[in-house]
Amino acid sequence: MTILALETSCDDTCAAVLDDDGRARSSVISSQHVHDRFGGVVPEIASRHHLELVNVVVDSALEQAGATLEEIGLLAATQGPGLVGALLVGLSTGKALAAARRLPFAPVDHLQGHVAANFLTDGDGGPFEPPFVCLIASGGHTLLALVTEHDGYEVLGRTLDDAAGEAFDKGARMLGLGYPGGAALEQLAAGGDPTAFSFPGSPGEVRRGAPRKAFAEGLDFSFAGLKTALLYATRELGSEQTAARAADLAASYQAAIVSSLITRSERALERTGLGRLAVGGGVAANGELRRRLGELSATVHVPERSLCTDNAAMIASAARYGRRLEYPDYLSLDAYATGETAR
Amino acid sequence: MIVLGLDTATSATAVALRLADGTTREARDDPAPGGHPGHATRLLAMTDELLSHAALGLEQVDRIAVGAGPGTFTGLRVGIATARGLAQSLGAELVAVSSLRALAHGAMGSQQPRALVATIDARRGEVFAAAYSPGEGELAGARALPPGEIAALLGEAGLAEGERPVGIGDGAVRYRAELEAAGIHVPADSAPEHLLRGVAIAELGVTAPSVGYGDVLPDYLRRPDAELALEGAGGGAS
Ligand SMILES: [Zn+2]
Repeated sequence: MTILALETSCDDTCAAVLDDDGRARSSVISSQHVHDRFGGVVPEIASRHHLELVNVVVDSALEQAGATLEEIGLLAATQGPGLVGALLVGLSTGKALAAARRLPFAPVDHLQGHVAANFLTDGDGGPFEPPFVCLIASGGHTLLALVTEHDGYEVLGRTLDDAAGEAFDKGARMLGLGYPGGAALEQLAAGGDPTAFSFPGSPGEVRRGAPRKAFAEGLDFSFAGLKTALLYATRELGSEQTAARAADLAASYQAAIVSSLITRSERALERTGLGRLAVGGGVAANGELRRRLGELSATVHVPERSLCTDNAAMIASAARYGRRLEYPDYLSLDAYATGETAR
Repeated sequence: MIVLGLDTATSATAVALRLADGTTREARDDPAPGGHPGHATRLLAMTDELLSHAALGLEQVDRIAVGAGPGTFTGLRVGIATARGLAQSLGAELVAVSSLRALAHGAMGSQQPRALVATIDARRGEVFAAAYSPGEGELAGARALPPGEIAALLGEAGLAEGERPVGIGDGAVRYRAELEAAGIHVPADSAPEHLLRGVAIAELGVTAPSVGYGDVLPDYLRRPDAELALEGAGGGAS
């Protein structure tokens, strides 16, 4: 059965067509670059853009797949978590597209989508089958999940405050790199010494054996303390020294985020006894994270970059295995902002 | 021609069918006072129920008419995204209707021939408003303004000295005192002409020009706050 899926939980308007065998025939991502000047995604502006783009993106996904609506057997859309106003554009569109043809509809949890990106047949090595531990790190989410089936996950740990991608962006802003600054921070870090500064969760700190509270036991993440530590470091240095040592600051800051992600992933692998780790979310594009993942003594699967960042192919993949509702049982579905509906 | 009319500009969810013989059926959902609008959860479900009662299916709808606002931003997007998705999937025609004009159209039958000031509560101490002649010609176009400044709209509408227009819609109910002070007659709060009806959307939709399913957008009348803040424009409608 051919699946048409939509994803509009944040600032990317996405649609994809997926074949029976888990191969994406198309995956269209229309990124809104209008938020940069606001220093973050503005929900009202994101929602307006989604509505302008959504039907065109659906048409593009069908066209690139060489498909028509006649051939679609299942509609899917992200139901949450995310920006409700943004989600409602994709969810309303998806429900209407399905209702008009009395097709079944699959409401998809966005994080289940990131997990299900690993089930896609992509060029290098997919599908990656359960059981595995899944690290999802993006601008909106940071989560460790235990995946034993195709249609759900168990939360092992999650961030208690900022998401990892958010920490990258906030750090970049403190170092004057603009928004979004994750990639710029990584570039700057390439020329710096990651052990120059000791931040919560950084390798230097682990070596000294003096973990702070944020680096607490368990599998939860916390990046708020790290952000504050960078702020204090720049204040202590003053603007001149901060500029002179920006590369060292960036490298140390990045190392702290990456170490936090790696350490908890390792701990989750140990605790579950699974030697398999999958990764999703935009932070998976970070080179330092990829390098450290490569050093793990586990089988690591990172989907190609366009399947790690938000996309609709992953939503279609989740729909392929997840709950689907027959017409008219889905007409009353609403979007949700927070929480996970893992079953 | 079978026309499906949808409106989500106000807190109500309004759906109507206009059948080939000109008869109409409608359904509406008004949230309880203080309750959340049911746009996302009720719109398609009510459409399905209405069609079922008429022994029809969505595939028999020739044209979809949707209220394009002004009104609540999220509500408008739910209504328009739904209408666009239906039109795209059915291959049906799509038309946009002003929600203020639909308010005026719905009230025409029940009033003496007098000018109408159609209003929709715009929150933040403002109303969306436009003025129409008894023949439904637009006298003053839609805008967002504080209810205390409604006289400016009447001035632009060019009403004759002593002419007392009728104020309708949830904005008129909420800001009755301000409108009455400007010489506008506001019917009782429970009067049916305050309701934005799906039938009005469907009827106006019969003659409205058909557009592509990607082309209908809400008539927001306000720019996003973040844009105004960035420009230091200090708010107000554009
Ligand atoms: Zn995501």
